[in-house]
Amino acid sequence: MYRSITGPRRAILLLFLLLLALIFVLPRQSQDVLQRMGGPVAEIVALPLQGIAAFTGGIQHLWDGYVALQDVHLENQRLRREIEFLRGQNNELREVASGSQRLSRLLGFKQRHWPQAVATKVIGRDSTNWYRGLVLDKGEHAGIRPEMGVITPAGLVGRVVKTTAFTSIVLLVADPNTAVTALIQRTRDEGIVTGTLQGLVRLKYIPLLSPVREGDVVVTSGLAGKFPKGLMVGVVKRIEKTEDDLFKSALLVPVVDFSRLEEVLVITSPRPSDEARPGPVPPTVPSTEGTPKP
Amino acid sequence: MKFLIYGALLVGIVPIQTTILGHVSIAGIRPDLCLVTAVLVGFTRGPFEGLLMGVSLGYIQGFFSAGQLGINLFTKGIAGLLAGAGGKYVANATPVTAVAMVLGLSILSGVVFLFSDRAVESSTDLFQALWSILLLQSAYDAVVAGIVYRVIGFRIRKVQGLEHSFARLFP
Repeated sequence: MYRSITGPRRAILLLFLLLLALIFVLPRQSQDVLQRMGGPVAEIVALPLQGIAAFTGGIQHLWDGYVALQDVHLENQRLRREIEFLRGQNNELREVASGSQRLSRLLGFKQRHWPQAVATKVIGRDSTNWYRGLVLDKGEHAGIRPEMGVITPAGLVGRVVKTTAFTSIVLLVADPNTAVTALIQRTRDEGIVTGTLQGLVRLKYIPLLSPVREGDVVVTSGLAGKFPKGLMVGVVKRIEKTEDDLFKSALLVPVVDFSRLEEVLVITSPRPSDEARPGPVPPTVPSTEGTPKP
Repeated sequence: MKFLIYGALLVGIVPIQTTILGHVSIAGIRPDLCLVTAVLVGFTRGPFEGLLMGVSLGYIQGFFSAGQLGINLFTKGIAGLLAGAGGKYVANATPVTAVAMVLGLSILSGVVFLFSDRAVESSTDLFQALWSILLLQSAYDAVVAGIVYRVIGFRIRKVQGLEHSFARLFP
């Protein structure tokens, strides 16, 4: 096949092979180069992305408000239509009310606890099935940088792993590649929170003699990384241990429902209180929004 | 015209992948439109165009994924190249051949992801990833590719038919 490729095509093929070699031999450096080279391209692609996200949001709203309610019987079509109309209006008002409620809760939380945080909208999901990630509608222009923590009033969401000028990619805490130091609130035993391939969250490396039990709350320990101490991660659902294990591990029910996230806060700089005194933060606001349904 | 279509694909596929496809996911799995596009372009237009489309789409896709930037570029580029090379040896291209090609290359691409960048700790994790992500996505990719190939084939035949009719009417 190679012999049949001639001229510029052969040069491009060789360039591709060279690029691959660069990626494999110098993975870290090549990431920086690729990131810089593709920045403008990503900015261009971000525009239709935000457009489509806004469009699908509108369609979703229409679908929820009208099309999904089209189970109309012929006999009472007129009455149904009236009900549909009123329902549509009602849904619209409810949506507006719930949106403003959600935003004011987020704003209140931000002003009370995270004045330095940037509020952003979730406009998409990771472009592959292999990572549990979110696409946010703000990027480097809003001061967001890789490794920044992402939260909601309910608790921990994940961390920023990539940024372009107008978008950011967040790796969720439910991804196996995430690791956050955490502790069990009641027993103060520390461990590492990581995701599973099934999209669950697990607290690993709990000391063998820890009296951890189901229902215990797990919060961030603030020992390493960009997360301050005291952010709620989840509630212990099941404790796992085999005879040969040196540590216990616990399966957690995350406090945030990752599939329903619409707005999040990105922690762009630590709070003055965290910088001065690494102690527990004010308790997170209990919230029904963004929490998994039982 | 071809470059216009390629440009639209490059700018449009990734936004669609990250936004709209979430609504048609099965068990949380969406088809990988970038892979399907790279393979179909390679299969129908040859290895060179397949490689270029795969590399470009993979590169853009990498910016909107939490994984390493080079993995998508690598897997999609290779998929486009192999599809083009395979397509040269297929005497009679049908939707079935396209589906088989996408299925095989999607599995290959999934294996690269699985063993390069994923935290697979146990055989249970591996088995889980194989069944719940890799095979499901490959099957979904293949179905989408079959539909797209059939639609494209139908459109091409229709255009060719029209051209033929016009040629007969206005010789």
